[in-house]
Amino acid sequence: MRRFTKKELAKYNGQGGTATYVAYKGRVYDVSQSFLWQHGKHQVLHTAGKDLTDSLAEAPHGPELLEKFPVVGILEDS
Amino acid sequence: MAKVTREMVEKAGVNLDQLVELLVKNAAAELTTYYYYTILRVNLIGLEGEGIKEIAETARIEDRNHFEALVPRIYELGGKLPEDMKAFHDSSACPPASLPQDPRDIQAMLRVLVEAERCAVRGYTHLCNLTAGKDHRTYDLSQAILNEEIEHESWFSEFLGEGPSGHFLRRGETSPFVSKFLR
Ligand code: HEM
Ligand SMILES: [Fe+2]
Ligand SMILES: [Fe+2]
Repeated sequence: MRRFTKKELAKYNGQGGTATYVAYKGRVYDVSQSFLWQHGKHQVLHTAGKDLTDSLAEAPHGPELLEKFPVVGILEDS
Repeated sequence: MAKVTREMVEKAGVNLDQLVELLVKNAAAELTTYYYYTILRVNLIGLEGEGIKEIAETARIEDRNHFEALVPRIYELGGKLPEDMKAFHDSSACPPASLPQDPRDIQAMLRVLVEAERCAVRGYTHLCNLTAGKDHRTYDLSQAILNEEIEHESWFSEFLGEGPSGHFLRRGETSPFVSKFLR
């Protein structure tokens, strides 16, 4: 499986026609097909191309909503 | 725009631009859901469909009420509705409640309905969390809407075999919680 650094992940922020990836607990999900992640933005507060593990703790939903989206890689610790 | 109103909310530590954008997104969710529920409702036919037509209609009318109740608050806080209705649709805080491929599939219809309500419950819970103890009027409004969204969720979830909700259909007026913002 593809390994992403934070810098590589940042390229997939959904802006300017790039794919929309978000990381959660070390996994990188492709949410490009989601209505709620258009242009890499989610509910005003969140942007794609990042590790959003901490942000999800404040969300009005859990990680189960990520499950229907494909995992495209692993986020490296660095 | 209501100048001191804005000032008070900002001073309480709320990010006003973000809040206003969220309110606009939720207003978009309400108006588009009102529209999509119109299509769902006319397709709720036959023995099974008729059984949920009435609650779908109440949920539909109340979503329109939610839209109406949100708009004044958006403008008070210095926001506005986008001129382009297509952009407004696409900015919705919830995905379109589209008619299932087979509208006679009552379980599929119920899933669309209950998911729309769950999205709303999440959205207004979040708005309440953001404004609690800070922006009293937006909190009061979000909380009133939340009360109705929770009831909508419970009506539909009952039919999905998730057990009794303890709720009855509305008797008489719609929007028992939000109506004070509509007068
Ligand atoms: C305060 C922060 C957040 C808010 C207010 C929020 C709100 C929402 C809402 C209202 C929905 C719709 C749920 C439904 O249909 O029942 C949703 C869906 C979703 N959220 Fe969030 N969320 C937040 C943070 C996050 C974070 C940090 C992530 C990623 C790690 C995330 C990932 C998702 C995904 C993948 C979906 C499903 C999208 C789809 O089905 O197309 N959310 N969110
Ligand atoms: Fe609503
Ligand atoms: Fe609703």
